[in-house]
Amino acid sequence: MKKNEILEEILKEVDKHPEIMSRREALKFLSVSPLAASLLAGTTVGTSAISASTVKGKIVIVGGGLAGMSTAARLNNTITNADITVIEPDPLSVSYQPGQTLVAGGIWDKSEIVYKRDDKLPSGVKLIKGSVTAFDPDNNKITVDSKEEISYDQLIIATGLTLNYGAIKGLSGEITSSTTDNAAVKEKVGVNGVHSIFFQDGAAATWDGIQELIAQAKAHTGEKKLQAVFTHPDTPIKCGGAPKKIMYLTHARLEEAGVRDKVELTFYANGKDMFGIPEYHEAILEQFKTRGFKWNYAHNLTGMDTDAKIATFNHHWTEKGAWDEDLEEFGVILKSENVNVAYDFIHITPPMKAHDVVGKSKIGSNAGWVPVQKESLQHVKYKNVWCLGDVAAVPMGKTGGSVRKQYKVLIDNMIASMEGKTTLPAAYGGYTVCPLITGIGTVMLAEFDWSQKPTPSFPLDPTKERWIWWLLKVYALKPMTAIGMLSGRA
Amino acid sequence: MTNKITAITISAIATIAFTACGTNKHEEVKTYKMSAAEVFQASCIKCHGANGEGNPEKKTPKISDKTIGELEQDIYDVKNGGSNQSSGTTHTVMEHNMQKLIEKGYDYDTKVMATYMYETFHK
Repeated sequence: MKKNEILEEILKEVDKHPEIMSRREALKFLSVSPLAASLLAGTTVGTSAISASTVKGKIVIVGGGLAGMSTAARLNNTITNADITVIEPDPLSVSYQPGQTLVAGGIWDKSEIVYKRDDKLPSGVKLIKGSVTAFDPDNNKITVDSKEEISYDQLIIATGLTLNYGAIKGLSGEITSSTTDNAAVKEKVGVNGVHSIFFQDGAAATWDGIQELIAQAKAHTGEKKLQAVFTHPDTPIKCGGAPKKIMYLTHARLEEAGVRDKVELTFYANGKDMFGIPEYHEAILEQFKTRGFKWNYAHNLTGMDTDAKIATFNHHWTEKGAWDEDLEEFGVILKSENVNVAYDFIHITPPMKAHDVVGKSKIGSNAGWVPVQKESLQHVKYKNVWCLGDVAAVPMGKTGGSVRKQYKVLIDNMIASMEGKTTLPAAYGGYTVCPLITGIGTVMLAEFDWSQKPTPSFPLDPTKERWIWWLLKVYALKPMTAIGMLSGRA
Repeated sequence: MTNKITAITISAIATIAFTACGTNKHEEVKTYKMSAAEVFQASCIKCHGANGEGNPEKKTPKISDKTIGELEQDIYDVKNGGSNQSSGTTHTVMEHNMQKLIEKGYDYDTKVMATYMYETFHK
C-alpha cells in the first residue's frame, strides 16, 4: 500500500461525513501531528533515502519482534553485503500489538494483527530459530538453546518484555503478547470475568467478556451496580494508555447496549496520576468525569481470588515522619494496607519485566531492564551492545511509536561506531505516541517526549478527542508499521 | 485535485517547521543557583555519602555501583515522580525529599549531576 492509498482511504472516510469536517480540514489536522505529518510527507511507507555503508562486521539481533525485524530490515538496506543474524524462537513473534485494543473492543478480528515471523524476515538476513540462554559480553559471545555458541561484533538486544501474571497471587504464568504456549495464564485469565488485552488470545477473550458483561447488565436488577474494575501495575508497561483504552471501549459498548447505568467502572492505578504530562493528565481526568468513571490511585493489584471474585490491592500512602537533620525537614514514612474489591468484570494489566535471561545477565541491571545511554541507545558498559524497544531502560519508551524513532537512531550510531567514529551522530529525544482511544470513533493523540510537554506545537489543542485521530489509528498506523517499519523505511 | 492537496500540505508543513523553531522546548535554558558539584557536596553527601556508599541506618541505598546512564535515569525518575503513565515510582521517599531539596535551592541538571556522581565515585 502506497502512502497515497492510506491517505486516500482516510480522506474517503472524511468525504462520507462532510458534516464533521472537510478534506481541507482533515489535511490540516494530519499535518500538525508529527506522526500524521509523516504520512503526508511520504516518510511513512518506503520513500526515505538511506545512504549505503560498506562497514564490515557480524551483527546479531536477539529478538525478532517489531523492533528486531525493523532493525534487521533497515540495516540490510543500509549496509552493503551486511552480515545480519536474527535469533527468535517464536514463529508468530511479529504482530501488530497496538491492534489488540481494537480486537478487545470488537472492532478488529484477531487474525488481522497476527503475522508470521518467517514472512517478515528480510531477504539475506539469517534466522536462528532458538532462544538465547546466556550472554557473555566480555567475550562477545552468546549461547543459543544452552548448546550453540555464537560470536558477534555488534549485538542488538530487542527481546521485548514478559507479562508476569504469575507475580499476582492466585494467577500464574509469564508470557509474551504472542506466546502460543499460554495455558498457565489462560487457566484464570480470559474466563469468568477476568480479562487482559495484553496478549493476543486475551484480547480476543476480552471482547467475549465485554459481551458477557452486557448480557449480565441486561438481566441485572437491584440498586447495587455491577462492578467493572480496571488495573494499572507498579512496573513500567508497554503501551501505557492501554489500561485506560479498554476502559473507554467497555464504556462505549455498555452505552451502545443501553446498560451503562447498570455498571460502575473504576480505575485502580499504582501511581498518582493519569499521565506523566500535566496537560494530558488533566484532559484524561475530564474525560473520566464526563463518563462517570471512578478512580483510586496508589492501589497495586497483588492478589486474585477468582472463585470468590475478589481482587486484593496493596493501597499505599506516606505519613509525616521524624525530623530529618540532614534534610532539614520532616521525612516521610511509607504505609500500606490490603484492600479487597469485589468485581463482576476485571481488566488486569499485569506487572511487566525483562526476560530473566536478559535482565539478570551482565547486560541487564538491578532494575531488570537493559541499561542504555538513553539518547544514543548504546549499552552503558559494553560499547558494541545496543538496545531498543520494550526491554530498553528508557523512560516512557515502550511503544511501537518509540521504536519507530529508536531504530533509526540506533543504526546510525552503530554504523558510526563500526566506522571508528568516536562521537555518535544520532540522538533519541524520547518521542513517543499514545493514540488514546476514548470511544468508538474518537482518539486523543498524545504525542510527547522527555521535555514532558505535548509535542504538537501548532495552535491546535492536543488534548482534544478527535475523530480524525481515530481514522489515523484505524487506517494508517497498521500499514505504517507492517509495510513501512518492517521494510526498514518508515 | 492532487496538486491542490499537495499545495495545502506543503504550506502546512512549512508553517509547522517554522513554528517549531520558535517554540522548541529543548532550547529552553534553565539556570541553576548552584553547580551539581556544590549541590552534591552540600546536600546529597549527607545521606548518600562522599563515595555514594549509602547509609543503612537511614535506609539510603548504595549508588556507587551505578553507571552514568543508570544514575541519570534514577534521578529523572525521582524528579518526575516516575516516568510511566499511572505506574508510579519506587522512589517515593526520595521523591518527597527531592521536592523539599528543590524548594531549598538544591536543584541541578540531571545529566551533569549523573556525570559528576559517577566521576566522584570512580576517582
